[in-house]
Amino acid sequence: MATDRRRIQGPEASVAPIILKSPNKIQLLDENLCRHNGRNLEDIRSISNGSAFIELNKTKIVCGVYGPRQTKIPAFSGKGNLNCEIKFAPFSCPKRRPPYRDSQEKELSQLIYEALTPSIRLDLLPKSTIDIYITILENDGTASCLAAAITCASVAVADAGIEMLDLVPACSASYINGHIFMDSDLIEEKRESGSLVLSYMPSLKEITHILQSGEVELNLTSQAIEQCTDSCSKIYSIMIDSLLLPIQNIK
Amino acid sequence: MPSSLISPSELDYIIRGVDDNLRADGRGRLDYREVILETGLISQANGSARCRLSKGTDVLVGVKVEIGSIEIDGTDEEVAAIEAKRGRIVCNVECSPIASQQFAGRGADDINNELTQLVDRVLNGPQGGLNLEKLCIIPGEECWIVYIDALVLDYGGNILDIIFTTIRAALHNTRVPKTVIEEDKEVEISDDVEEWERIEGWELVPISVTLNKIGTRHIVDATVLEELATKAKLSVMVNKNSKICGIQKIGGGSIEHSLLNEMLQTGRSLGQNLIHNLDKMLQKEEEINAKRKIGFFASA
Repeated sequence: MATDRRRIQGPEASVAPIILKSPNKIQLLDENLCRHNGRNLEDIRSISNGSAFIELNKTKIVCGVYGPRQTKIPAFSGKGNLNCEIKFAPFSCPKRRPPYRDSQEKELSQLIYEALTPSIRLDLLPKSTIDIYITILENDGTASCLAAAITCASVAVADAGIEMLDLVPACSASYINGHIFMDSDLIEEKRESGSLVLSYMPSLKEITHILQSGEVELNLTSQAIEQCTDSCSKIYSIMIDSLLLPIQNIK
Repeated sequence: MPSSLISPSELDYIIRGVDDNLRADGRGRLDYREVILETGLISQANGSARCRLSKGTDVLVGVKVEIGSIEIDGTDEEVAAIEAKRGRIVCNVECSPIASQQFAGRGADDINNELTQLVDRVLNGPQGGLNLEKLCIIPGEECWIVYIDALVLDYGGNILDIIFTTIRAALHNTRVPKTVIEEDKEVEISDDVEEWERIEGWELVPISVTLNKIGTRHIVDATVLEELATKAKLSVMVNKNSKICGIQKIGGGSIEHSLLNEMLQTGRSLGQNLIHNLDKMLQKEEEINAKRKIGFFASA
C-alpha cells in the first residue's frame, strides 16, 4: 500500500507522558510583599532587553535596546551592526514636530551612533544587529537632549547585558557672552553664541564624540572640554548607581 | 565610505608610513595635496567654484540667490526680532554616483545628510561669517535666500575640507543683485550687472581641517585608503581670525583626551595657512576672470 510521504510516520506503540510535579507551590507573594520574580507590587516588567529613562529637570528621554539579534540582510562584515534611531515626540518641542523622521533626527541618530560605537564590543558580535530606539518626550535644549540621549542609550545598552568597554556619559555646554553655561536649557540655548557636546569614557580617558558650533577662542574651548569631562565623570557615577540599584533590590 | 575593505598588509603599510612621517604618495603627515581651483564657471549661478585635488576629490559648488519670505519661528520675542532682520542660507551637499559606485541609489543618503547638516550648521550659525542682516530686503517680510549646493564629482578622500574650501571660493565669486524697494513694497531687481555686490563677510567664512587619527598619530588630507585605516576623524572649522568655528568628530572610534588638544592646535594653525593660500588663489582667479569675463554678456 502506498503511504502518504508527507505524513509523519509515528511509532506503532505509544505511552502516556509522565507529568512532573513542581516541587513546591508558587508563592505569589512572600512575607516582604516581594513577588516571585523579585519585583515589588508596583514594579512593571521591563519590556525590551534593555531600557532606560533619563530626566534632567524638564528634559525627558526614554530608550530601549533590542538585540543582539541576527542581521536581516547580512553584508560581509566581521563586526556587528549598531542601529540607532532617535525620535522627537510630536509634542516635545515648542513647535509641533511631524511624526515622520526629519533630517535633524537622522543626523542626531548618526551622532549617537558615532558616540556609542567606540564603547560597544561589536567585534564580539559578528552578523548581529543591536537596535537602539530613543524617544524624546520633552525637549529642553537640543544640545542637552543629545547629551542626555547618549547617556541614556549607554545605560540601556549596559542594562541589555551587551559587552562594553565603558559607559559613555555625555555633557553639553553653551557659550554665552564669554561664559560657559553647563547643560543649558531652551531659553539659554536660544541666546547662545555656540555650544559644545562631549561624550567621554571616564575609565579609558577617551573622548567618543565631540561637537562644537559657534565662533570660540581655542583656550575657551579647552576650558569647556575640561569642564565637560569633569561633569561626565559625575554623571558616570549616577549611571553606575542606576544600574546597580535594581540588582541590589533583588537581593 | 567607499569600498570598506582594506587588507591587513595595506593597513600595516599605512600605519608604519604614518609613524615614519612618510606616506604612500611621498607626503609627510601634515602635507596637503595640490589644490586646483577655478571660479565663475557656471553662468546660470550667481557664484560658482570648482576645486580639485590632484588625482582625487573633485567638488563643484554653485551659489544661487533668490528672493523669499522671512520665516520667523518660535515664541521668543527677543529671538524673533533678530530673525526678522535676517536673510538665510540653505545648504545642500550631494555625492554623485559619478564619484563612487558606493553613492549609487540610496547609498549616498546617509553621507549626504551628514554633510548637509554639518555645512548648514557651520554656515548658518553666528560663526558662519556672512552678514545675514545685509541679505534682508524688507524686515519681517522679504529677504535674499542664499542657496549653496555642493556636488561631489569625484571621490579621493578628504571631501569635507574640499567642500568648505570650494564653498568659500564660490561665495567670493557670488554677486547679489541690487534691489530697489518701491512705494507699494514691490521689490525691483536691478539688471545692471556692474551694480551687483559681493555678500559682505565672505572672507570670514570658515574652512575645515580634517585630522585623521591613524595609529597614535594624526594626518591631514587622507586618501581613500588612508581613510579606511583611520580610527577616528576630527574636523576643526577655523576662520580668518583664527577662531574655532566648529569641531566635530566623524565616524566611529574615540580620541584620547590628551591627543584632542594637540589635534585642535594643529587644526587651527594649519587652517590659517590654508585660508592664506586660498585667498592668494582667489585673488589670482579674480584677475584672470576680469580678463576673460566669462558670462556677464561680455563674450565679444
